[in-house]
Amino acid sequence: MSKKIFYLMIAALMVVLSACTTTSSPSGEGTTSSTGTEDNNVLTVSLGPDMLTWDIHNHTTTATEAIHVNVFDYLLMRDTDGEIQPHLAKEWKQIDDTTYEFKLTEGVKFHNGDDLTAEDVKFTLERVATDETLKSHGDFDTIKEVKVIDPLTFQIITHEPDPMLISRISRQASGILPKKYIEEKGMDEFLKSPIGSGPYKFKEWKKDSQITLVKNDDYFGKKGEWAEVLFRAIPEDSTRVAELLTDNVNIIANVPPSDWKRINDSDNSEIANGPSNRTYMLFLRTQEGWPTSDVKVRQAIDYAIDDKALVESLLDGGGTPTLTRVNPGNVGFEESLYDTYNYDVDKAKKLLEEAGYKDGLKIELAGPTGRYIKDREVMQLIAGMLEEAGIHTEMNLLQWSSFTELRDQEKFKEGYLIALGSSFFDAGQALDYYGTERSATINGYSNKEIDKLLQEANTSLDPAVRTAKYQEIQKIASVETPIVPLFQVDQFFGVSDGIQYTPRLDELIYIPDVNKK
Amino acid sequence: MKSISGTEVAKLPIDKNDRSIKTKNRFKIFLTKLSRSKTGSIGLLIVLTLFVMAIFAPWIAPFNPGKIDTTQMLVPPFWSDGGSMAHILGTDNLGRDILSRIIYGSRISLVVGILSVLVAGAIGVVFGLISGYYGGMVDNIIMRLVDAFLSVPTILFCIVFLTVLDPGIPTLVIVIGVTSWVLYARMIRSETLSLREREYVKAARTMGVSNFQIIKRHILPNVTSSIIVISTLSVASTIITESSLSFLGLGIQPPIVSWGIMLSEGKEYVATSWWLATFPGVAITVTVLGIIFFGEWLRDLLDPRSQGTNS
Amino acid sequence: MWRYFTSRLLQIPIVLLIISLMIFVLVYVAGDPVAMMLPAEATQKEIQTLRIALGFDQPFYIQFWNYITDLVRGDFGESYKYGVSAIGLVLERLPATLELATASMIMAIIIAVPLGIISALKPNGIIDLFATGLSALGKAIPNFWLGIMLILVFAVNLKMMPVSGTGSWKHIILPAITLGTAVSAEITRLVRSNMLEILQQDFIRTARSKGQKKSVIIFRHAFRNSLVPVITITILQMASLVGGSLITEMIFSWPGLGQLIIQAVYDKDLPIIQAAVFVTAVMILLLNLATDVLYRFLDPRIKYS
Repeated sequence: MSKKIFYLMIAALMVVLSACTTTSSPSGEGTTSSTGTEDNNVLTVSLGPDMLTWDIHNHTTTATEAIHVNVFDYLLMRDTDGEIQPHLAKEWKQIDDTTYEFKLTEGVKFHNGDDLTAEDVKFTLERVATDETLKSHGDFDTIKEVKVIDPLTFQIITHEPDPMLISRISRQASGILPKKYIEEKGMDEFLKSPIGSGPYKFKEWKKDSQITLVKNDDYFGKKGEWAEVLFRAIPEDSTRVAELLTDNVNIIANVPPSDWKRINDSDNSEIANGPSNRTYMLFLRTQEGWPTSDVKVRQAIDYAIDDKALVESLLDGGGTPTLTRVNPGNVGFEESLYDTYNYDVDKAKKLLEEAGYKDGLKIELAGPTGRYIKDREVMQLIAGMLEEAGIHTEMNLLQWSSFTELRDQEKFKEGYLIALGSSFFDAGQALDYYGTERSATINGYSNKEIDKLLQEANTSLDPAVRTAKYQEIQKIASVETPIVPLFQVDQFFGVSDGIQYTPRLDELIYIPDVNKK
Repeated sequence: MKSISGTEVAKLPIDKNDRSIKTKNRFKIFLTKLSRSKTGSIGLLIVLTLFVMAIFAPWIAPFNPGKIDTTQMLVPPFWSDGGSMAHILGTDNLGRDILSRIIYGSRISLVVGILSVLVAGAIGVVFGLISGYYGGMVDNIIMRLVDAFLSVPTILFCIVFLTVLDPGIPTLVIVIGVTSWVLYARMIRSETLSLREREYVKAARTMGVSNFQIIKRHILPNVTSSIIVISTLSVASTIITESSLSFLGLGIQPPIVSWGIMLSEGKEYVATSWWLATFPGVAITVTVLGIIFFGEWLRDLLDPRSQGTNS
Repeated sequence: MWRYFTSRLLQIPIVLLIISLMIFVLVYVAGDPVAMMLPAEATQKEIQTLRIALGFDQPFYIQFWNYITDLVRGDFGESYKYGVSAIGLVLERLPATLELATASMIMAIIIAVPLGIISALKPNGIIDLFATGLSALGKAIPNFWLGIMLILVFAVNLKMMPVSGTGSWKHIILPAITLGTAVSAEITRLVRSNMLEILQQDFIRTARSKGQKKSVIIFRHAFRNSLVPVITITILQMASLVGGSLITEMIFSWPGLGQLIIQAVYDKDLPIIQAAVFVTAVMILLLNLATDVLYRFLDPRIKYS
């Protein structure tokens, strides 16, 4: 009897073990992730969580695009200063209000050796412009069609005049896909082993673990210095920092402020920061019945919040207080409203008194937690500051999923905190939030003058006219404050010594720009 | 002790385990037994301290736990360089006093811990009694439901529920309660199964006493000691569940203070300002340890069978 | 035996049906996820276009019908976030989680069994007190905190272990300790109390009086007889390991099911959550069944009801 037990136990153990060893092969073995700096031809980067998909049109996250941009080339691309430069398209001109003509660079090849032609451009842009199930569809639906003139020449025709077209095709989801390869292999196969024309070729994707890219030696543009690049998925902030400090990763994104000093004090790495195009702001309701429908209450809130103190105490100075969400480097930037802020508690109290809230006011603000750097802390500090000015603030802090629902269904109370970006680098995108149509789905703000200026700017193809109109809108908005801009936030990378890396305004990691020192 | 009313029922013999012993004597025995067990006394002491902390928090805590002070950020505990007696356990990233936050945090741990155990207990006991007493189809259905709940780990179940529901204390209490009732149901069911076959229960049934009365008078009193033991020990696991969920950002949300939130806010600072994540972790561990010690001692006391197997 | 086995096996689909129904109700209450899928900058028009394109504007009964028919084919739909089959994603991550759970279990057994035996041999001795204290502590420490502390000490300060990820055998040690501690505590207590009970039984006394060697008594008689409950409880603990792996995987960036689930919860990616809960349930139900059968097979005193 006892022998039987013994054998059974052994058998059971073996079944469990064999089940695990046979199934563990995809994630075990293979390349070790700790080879990062041992081989100085390999660059290891961690942006946080794993990338989502190789479908460039069906995701909307910068961290995923930051990887895509190394495999797929854009028609036009911003340089490190944010200026749009020729890339796949070497020159372009406007034919009429709705037509642009582009010429492609000669001799560009996909990773399988096929030529990149105007047919590929037509295939790519028309895919995203017509397929409504793609998440990037909304960014490209102004495009009516792409007309192929000859293999290296094509025209983009829009439904209506689109002053933002050039920005549109030089940002997220603007990579060009290989038409022939996808049509032969099918989309599913393509997503498993994607090819593009970019400076790096896809080698392997171990989900939730790492992505391996290898250098494209036949690249037509600036080549990368690294033979191989690993993008590792490390969602936990503290773990990511620890991996940098133990030399297992060379570049990490989203370093929390608490670790800046530790990284700078370490002997193997330092912080590289630069501005991002993201601005923290409070959206306030302007509909009748809410105390914030009174402009004086909104101004009181603006004056009660010390933007500078938020940046200093929470971000260690890693941000810029602002009165507009159009940042430097964007079309329509208004300098007088940037790097400045309203803060005067007495004035805030006076404004409240004038608005009839002498005995104090009670509001509720919603905010996301864990979505943006220090979002939870920003909210708590704001609540403390408003309290000082006599505005008792209830906080409703929510996980991102609950927060979006609250926002989408307009279930928030007086307002909410959010940090929005502007990926077109064009005030037209940022200021749309002040227009009556867009506001109706957000905070109900409506101003005829702003509507008129927006209309004029959006239909004009003259950059100077557009800039002037946008600047005027920002001046009106900074007094009306249906949205209270707080500060533009920096992006923070941790970078190993020996690597030269400057953060780009569009938050992409373009490997050819990452150099050995 | 409640006097027994209802003439019919009163005449029936009642299972007299220790009911004949007078309350005073029982208390004395309780104390003697407690003094014999070191871990039991320590456990009780920790549990009592916790209650005192939670109830008298506003008087004990040196600061308002939500008071932000940007001039006093990340002050270390008093024995470290730069620390002061003003903030004995230091301050967090917003300059809030950690000791005060831990004292206030005990409230959430206890409230969520105890209330969710009550919810779980209520559901579990009712289902367990029904399942065990009536048997048959009802039992079958309830047991499949129990299987369904047992086949998904509690924490996963809670997470799934919280994906859909808005977080907050009531949600958390209900979610933890609803996902952990099966423990009670299974145990109560098996005890009821054996109690149902006792002579006095059979006698009551032949005399025409209603099922409800039988359950109330003869079955429930005999399972109370098990209920008390499981409930006590469950408070410990519930506190861990609550802090895990809050740590993940799915449970309690600021400005309410919870040890789980303190840990999740502090984890980012673990390498630079160790005290942020360390003290709430210690608080959870000590609390859970205390409850386990107390609960296990209680089990040995109420269930003579298990005596001797635990020191 | 076989009748018992088949009747237990037949209960599994019923239990799974209950779980699927619960999940569907939850998903229905959750509302549609379209606003989540687009960036915060998206317009209402963009959201509405995608909503219609993905069929979330369909009435309740159509969505319900689609859910049921898909479920029968084992299809949980496509992940909102990744755009590929949810069940595929779940099965892809499962091996890594099993690998971690097995490593934790092995580690737990290696520590717990000797500790349990030794402490049972000398109750209230120093080792016993140490073991009892340790196992109480093991149960009380929240595993997410333990994980953070282990990283701090062994990876960041001492640089003995890698911080996160997979690859070499070293990568699995810290997560396995984090995950295995509570189970180890449980097994230690169980081994100890079983050994204590058996050592007091008549046949052990008989063996002693016959003058058999102590090691023979301990291992041949006592330990073997205490194995049955230990084995069954050990297998049952696999379920709690799956639960514990959620947070452990997140902290150590272990590319398993746990990390996928937590991320899916943050993204409200319901197809992944549905598939993951379903797969977990199937796994645990089968483990429970195996335990039950094994237990009955090993211990002939139990009758099959």
